[in-house]
Amino acid sequence: MNNFLKLCFSMILLAASSVPAMAAAPVELSSDIFVEKQEKRPDGSFSTVLAKPNLILPGDQLVFVVRYRNASNKPAANFSVTNPIPAAITFSGTSDGAEIVSIDGGKSWGKLSQLRVNNADGTSRNALMTDVTHLKWQMKQTLAAGDAGKLIFRGVVK
Amino acid sequence: MFGAGAAHAAGTLAGTDITNIATASYETGGTTVDIDSNPVVIKVDELLDVTAVSSDPGDVITSNGAQNVVSTFRITNTGNGPESFRITPNVTNGGDDFNPALVSVVIDTNGNGVYDPGVDTVYVAGTNDPNLTPDQSLTVFVLTNIPATQSNGNRAQVSLTTAATTGTGAPGTTFASAGQGGGNAVVGTTGADADASGFVLVNAASVALVKSATVLDPFGGTTSVPGSIITYTLVATVSGNGTLNNLSINDPIPASAQYVASSITLAGAAQTDAVDADQANFNGTRVNVALGNVAAGQSRTVTFKVRIQ
Repeated sequence: MNNFLKLCFSMILLAASSVPAMAAAPVELSSDIFVEKQEKRPDGSFSTVLAKPNLILPGDQLVFVVRYRNASNKPAANFSVTNPIPAAITFSGTSDGAEIVSIDGGKSWGKLSQLRVNNADGTSRNALMTDVTHLKWQMKQTLAAGDAGKLIFRGVVK
Repeated sequence: MFGAGAAHAAGTLAGTDITNIATASYETGGTTVDIDSNPVVIKVDELLDVTAVSSDPGDVITSNGAQNVVSTFRITNTGNGPESFRITPNVTNGGDDFNPALVSVVIDTNGNGVYDPGVDTVYVAGTNDPNLTPDQSLTVFVLTNIPATQSNGNRAQVSLTTAATTGTGAPGTTFASAGQGGGNAVVGTTGADADASGFVLVNAASVALVKSATVLDPFGGTTSVPGSIITYTLVATVSGNGTLNNLSINDPIPASAQYVASSITLAGAAQTDAVDADQANFNGTRVNVALGNVAAGQSRTVTFKVRIQ
């Protein structure tokens, strides 16, 4: 093997070894699930509290929290977050309403109010939250170094 | 990644994992980077719920001394996990007229909704507690014997309780790690147990005899004058439950009338007057008809004629 080839290989190795470094996510993303529970106040009324999901039953209202942070010193452009709705969950809204959704497994996207569902008989109807399969937040601006935020959506256990 | 489907009325199957992973995408240094969040996994716990109903459309009609009277119930697992259920019959309820004797509880093994002796399986608590999947129903029979001395019209309540073997209690009661698939088990709104009641009614077979007459006078009219022929019709109707054995009818001929020879019919068939192979005879003063064994719900019609003297 001549020196030129050796150089090429070492460059390739260098490039390959640099990939994990890039993927070591200067932007951090974390996911969390909480459950809304009704707690009885001393006066007998109920308040809704967020609890750790120690006990989950059909019909429970879950709150999904996705946190993001740009931990690097470089801006992250065209930042977007996608979250598939778990199969056992019926989507019931986001806290900011800024999301676009998919009702076909992530193939096409739009605001929920703009999407239509085709019925078997050829007619169509407006899409409902129960049709949503994926959520996506497309941040319009660049995520500057150190920027952080969270996205919240809710769903009901089927 | 995703658990079993959620086609059940009771909701997502207990033990199903709900996994959430968010994905982010961004560009830095001219490269598009995709990252996944940590997967967060929660497990759906088991809801313990059951219902029981009587499947009998009304009172089960029975008679004194009847054996293996069948009361039918249907139990349904309305929880979200497979669960076995303990069945406890009760035949000593208060507020009714008598207590039948419990024979057995039988599971409708072949699922046809009808008690099949020798085919359906006798239930033994703790041995063959039925295991029902979510939304699955099972027919259960409670067999009782009726005391020989009950009065007609007496009713007895026959009930059963079915309870989730994992546990019962006030709604919300939690059994840690006892749920299907390793989660917890939680008592639902039914308390994870259910009662159902049916009734058995003693209504023994009895016979009602209705006699009617039509008159044909010698002039083709219907006046009762000497020489008129009276046709008597006797209808014996057995009602209630069971069979009346060796039922017979005896009807004396009125003194002012003369029996018309060979005029007896049974169910439209002519009978001879002699004591012989057929079921009727005339002994000189009265008409006798042996109706044999007549089941409840059936009737027998006898006619004979007399001439007014």
